[in-house]
Amino acid sequence: MSFGYLIRRIITSIPTILFVAFLVFIVMHLVPGDVVDMMLGTQNYLTQEQIQELYRQYGLDKPLIVQFGIWLKNLAALDFGTSLRTGKKVIDLIFDRFPVTLELSVLSMFFATIIGIPLGITAAIKRNSFLDGLVRVIGLIGLSSPSFWVGAILIVIFAGLFEGFNIFGYVPLTENPLKNLQVMFLPSLTLGLMLSAQIMRMTRSSMLDVLQQEYIKTAKAKGVSYSKVIGKHALKNALIPIITLFGIQLGYLLAGTIVIENMFALPGLGRLLLQAVNERDYPVIQFVVMFIAFLIVALNIIVDFIYTLVDPRVELR
Amino acid sequence: MRKFLVTILTIFAIVGVFAAGGKLVIAMETEPVGLDPHLVTAFASHRILENVYDSLLRYGEGMKLVPNLAEEAQAVDPYTIVFKIREGVKFHDGTPLTIEDVLFSFQRILNPDTKSPAAAFYQDVESIKMIGDNKIEFKLKKPMASALLPNFAGVNSSIVSKKFVESGKNMQLETNGTGPFYLAEYVPGNYITLKKNPYYYVKDQPYVDEIKIVFMPEEVSRVAALKNGDVDIAKINEPLNLKQFPEGKFKVYRSPVLSYYLIGINTTRKPLNDPKVRNALNYAINREAIIKAVAFSEGVVTGPLNPAVQPWALQPKAFDEYTYNPAKAKELLAQAGYPNGFEFEIVTSQRYNFDKVAQVIQAQLAEVGVKVKINLVEWGIFIKRWRESDFDAFISMNSGSIEPDIQFYRTFRTGGSTNVFLYSNPRVDELLDLGRSEVDISKRKAIYDELQRLLVKESPIIFLYSANQIFVSNASVEGFKLLANESLVFLRETYKK
Repeated sequence: MSFGYLIRRIITSIPTILFVAFLVFIVMHLVPGDVVDMMLGTQNYLTQEQIQELYRQYGLDKPLIVQFGIWLKNLAALDFGTSLRTGKKVIDLIFDRFPVTLELSVLSMFFATIIGIPLGITAAIKRNSFLDGLVRVIGLIGLSSPSFWVGAILIVIFAGLFEGFNIFGYVPLTENPLKNLQVMFLPSLTLGLMLSAQIMRMTRSSMLDVLQQEYIKTAKAKGVSYSKVIGKHALKNALIPIITLFGIQLGYLLAGTIVIENMFALPGLGRLLLQAVNERDYPVIQFVVMFIAFLIVALNIIVDFIYTLVDPRVELR
Repeated sequence: MRKFLVTILTIFAIVGVFAAGGKLVIAMETEPVGLDPHLVTAFASHRILENVYDSLLRYGEGMKLVPNLAEEAQAVDPYTIVFKIREGVKFHDGTPLTIEDVLFSFQRILNPDTKSPAAAFYQDVESIKMIGDNKIEFKLKKPMASALLPNFAGVNSSIVSKKFVESGKNMQLETNGTGPFYLAEYVPGNYITLKKNPYYYVKDQPYVDEIKIVFMPEEVSRVAALKNGDVDIAKINEPLNLKQFPEGKFKVYRSPVLSYYLIGINTTRKPLNDPKVRNALNYAINREAIIKAVAFSEGVVTGPLNPAVQPWALQPKAFDEYTYNPAKAKELLAQAGYPNGFEFEIVTSQRYNFDKVAQVIQAQLAEVGVKVKINLVEWGIFIKRWRESDFDAFISMNSGSIEPDIQFYRTFRTGGSTNVFLYSNPRVDELLDLGRSEVDISKRKAIYDELQRLLVKESPIIFLYSANQIFVSNASVEGFKLLANESLVFLRETYKK
């Protein structure tokens, strides 16, 4: 990949990210109920003057477009805003929460891979066998089960099954790796199982395509060992669509898996966003969404780069 | 491959011992929104802060007012309250509590710039001053001393350190109280750790060294965490889940609460502007059936005041309207000119089973020919519509009080700050003013008796029921108690065997 290409990609992605930020800004402010409403709830204890002053204090009395302009200006000065409800710096909130989501995403992808790829390969090799059928049925179930259901079932199965196994009570990996991995096990397995179904189906169909290619026949005819044909010649070429899928899935995971983080009480990005939306904590919503947009754009660039590693025919210019 | 899998599973499955010596872990569904005791409005904040800060008074068992930072509280006359401040109390940072701190706290509450919800409680306070070196006197504009007293027990009336606040600390992020616990750590989205305050003025309290409150929004997780031993105590919302906690291994705590479910009505929109029509709806609603269907019988029917609020509450059976009577409802509707019923919209949100209550009511009102359209909206949208009185009717929950004046005044007085029903009745206004200033208990009771009957008859609000609050702990937990205001002040007396 050329350096120029990278720069071009980064520059062209800036409008995308800003557009996302703008869209979220407009949508959040158009939704009825603002941060002051949410703060007062059904209590209404402030006078009209005090309420007006709060709007002024929060800068919400200005026209929307001016508010957006101020936000952009602050962004340019690397001032990412302060939560209106908790008084915390938004950037600190992201630093606190993102590692949790990142770890969850990586572990989920790990489970998805170790389940999805071997099963997909097996199904492709033993095409139309009983095993293939079984794998496909499992895949279909995996695709159609909602995560909150799978998560709840796993919680019910695991609760009390192993004495002393922690299902809840997140601690950072650096603080207590053992407990961290225990707590992360079920949520990442839940997500991993769901994603593995997609990966498995993609691996199977991609492998089937490749296995019918002439060069595979040639390799077989030359007497290359079976495992080498599958592992080296077939799998490597079948990987491109799988990597694309990987990128999409990882992007989805990094955006914070609201349902799973809520269910397993993990202090991740998804939960932060949900809470911020519920409380109309504009600066938090705004920056978190932009951060996510940034991640997804970055991920896309990385995925494109990986293509070139796997398949030398792909060239990025 | 297999070896690899086995290794992975072993890593994950290695047994970690959950130790809890002197430590309680509690699973709650919501986390605090801000930590400034003078500003917080969320229950979740109150529950934490009432253990960190002290007020002059506090609620003891049975919701009785007991002395706290004030050793004595005396309504000298209907216009005057005198508190004697406890001596030898220290803040968490070790500085002693002084009478200046008490004065400063109330000045901070009353300062319009603070925007404290408690300022509204004290708007009829004329002056606050020190008498001698350990007493503080509140002079009131209206003769409402006894009605005002319960406010001094609220978290919003906490006593803060003058020095601490004036040093420019962000009170939403940092705490410094005199309560039994100090806030040791707060990891948003995860947990709060409270640790024993070594200076706490009650010598042997709190009983545990540490309380960790973990935030678990999903009920299924709280249930599993308790069963799995990850937590000692958990809040349970769905009574059906109690089946999962066998007696002997777990303890169940339940208590009725002051907050109550209600149908709020916009009294200016046709046809619900007619008191007769609203009264008819009251007859057409079967409250027991709602409690059974929605709360699985974990609740009590409530009138304008929770039946447990003594001595003020009239019991539900005192109201004719509380006997389910669809025939009478139809008769009243016919008299009001709606023999074939009418249609209206109920706005509500998917919180605390509001949607389910709405469905049962929809079915019940259909029996008398009244068609209800349920409009389920997101909570923020609900709040907006509530504040703007933009509804025919809504279903929600109000927090109640043991003091009728606190419960009724702002809600039913013409132009009251939470009178989103736009209700106005001169007699009700008169009774509210009389009740506020009457000192003689039996006369005051007569006033509130009349008011309660009038409110049910006129029905700007149709009072429904109070759900039980439910907590479950493992069997080793002792001393855990609930209060009707949904507070957890008894954590200071809770421990593990």
